[in-house]
Amino acid sequence: MPAAQTLRFLIGPLVLLHEQAGPRLLRLTRLGLFALWFFKLCLDPLWRLADLPRSLFQPIGILALLPQGAMDALLQPGSLTIFLFATLAVLALGLTDRAFPVVSTLAAILLTAYSCLIRGFGPAVHTDTVALLAVYVLAGFAWADYFQMKFSRGKKSPDAWSSYPLVTIVALLCLSYALVGYNRVVRGGLPLFMGDTMEVWAIDASLRAYYFNTNIGWHIPDWPFVVFMLKAGLPAITFLEMTAPLCLISSHYRWIFMPVMLSFHFLSLVFMNIFFFDDMLIYLLLVDWSRRFPSLRRSRE
Amino acid sequence: MSVVIIALIIGVTSFSPYALVPFHVTGQALLLYIVVRGFCYWPPMVEWIKSMPGFHRAMFALLLGGMIVGHYTLDSRTFYPYVTWFIFPTIRDEDPVTCREFIATTASGKKVRLLVEQLFPSIVQIYPLDDPKHYSDKQIDALAQSLATAYNQHHPGDPVRGVEFVVLAVELHPPASASPTEPSCQLLKRYDFSSGL
Repeated sequence: MPAAQTLRFLIGPLVLLHEQAGPRLLRLTRLGLFALWFFKLCLDPLWRLADLPRSLFQPIGILALLPQGAMDALLQPGSLTIFLFATLAVLALGLTDRAFPVVSTLAAILLTAYSCLIRGFGPAVHTDTVALLAVYVLAGFAWADYFQMKFSRGKKSPDAWSSYPLVTIVALLCLSYALVGYNRVVRGGLPLFMGDTMEVWAIDASLRAYYFNTNIGWHIPDWPFVVFMLKAGLPAITFLEMTAPLCLISSHYRWIFMPVMLSFHFLSLVFMNIFFFDDMLIYLLLVDWSRRFPSLRRSRE
Repeated sequence: MSVVIIALIIGVTSFSPYALVPFHVTGQALLLYIVVRGFCYWPPMVEWIKSMPGFHRAMFALLLGGMIVGHYTLDSRTFYPYVTWFIFPTIRDEDPVTCREFIATTASGKKVRLLVEQLFPSIVQIYPLDDPKHYSDKQIDALAQSLATAYNQHHPGDPVRGVEFVVLAVELHPPASASPTEPSCQLLKRYDFSSGL
């Protein structure tokens, strides 16, 4: 087989992910994303934040716009409980798909405030940021549908519009990986991949013990194979991160990307106590469901 | 061709004696530009974007553009959720690797780690406790008390009697003869809560 043909075979067909997606898949995505946030918040005893020293709280994002008095009032157990239940109520409403542009916008605002609140005692970490941006996508495109329908004089929205938010969510997920990769390569350069950097990061993260706490990572120096795996894995993972946008167009690439990155995230949990639970659920959108299940496909116009 | 020109511009802006924009910004911009250009030349993508009605196209540009602009603000705290995507980007070579934490002794004599992220599960991550930029001594004392109080609320039968603020250390290159061990632990400060919190 000539080289060009072999390469073409390896790359596989290049087709835009979710191009054929119909309203049912969009509805399922809305349901999945709102359910994810709903269950996440159900498990969160947010009111406990009031027991932490107030002096440690430094408002971030939109919370920094609130006056000091309002911020103090919000950080009371009662206010935090009311805020949590109000957000849960809006998310529950979002699950019904009624008045979706308004409800999803409200949900986006409340979830942004919630995400800023839980980050006020520490750095603006990336966990669940893509899941939050995905809510922005659903809200934004719901308004775009609304205005487009209004300006095209009440015509029913074409099924093709369903693919826009789905492709955008996957694009944001891929872009987040790509930006992480570019940042690492440009800032760290070659020395980052040659030395003990990954080993240090892993031990450091394992010592810090976040919510998940495996107590394994600090043994890394005793396990040469794991040290080798970390050193060899960093450039491989960085390469996949940098090329993540290919997930949008190549099914062959996705079948490499998904198992490798899922294993990477799982190993991050084992050795570093870090887990991007929300991103893992968004990975479901890396499967082109509408090509597999005709009922999720849009009707031909 | 345009990529070459842009690379030249980056060379001039980042590596000239004036160095207007740091390379970690322009270098990333070049990589991103290459990817975006790649997609612009891929007919199905062009067709898909062209087929979008105006409002949808604007929304698509706004959402993706927001994420890219947010990344280049290099200020995640102000513009959250439009953050700088910054994961393991710097070289680290410290040896040993250290970390400060609180270890409590309960009434039954049990030793327990007091971790903010576990006692307050809302919090994803706090700043490392050894960072003087984020914690004064007074704040560390207040945090020790809050953690002990939170622990007691969930374990009223075996409350905290004392808390030690310690520094844990793991050697990156332990001597070959050394047997695998737990991290070494050095006491920094002791808090006595035996008379109650």
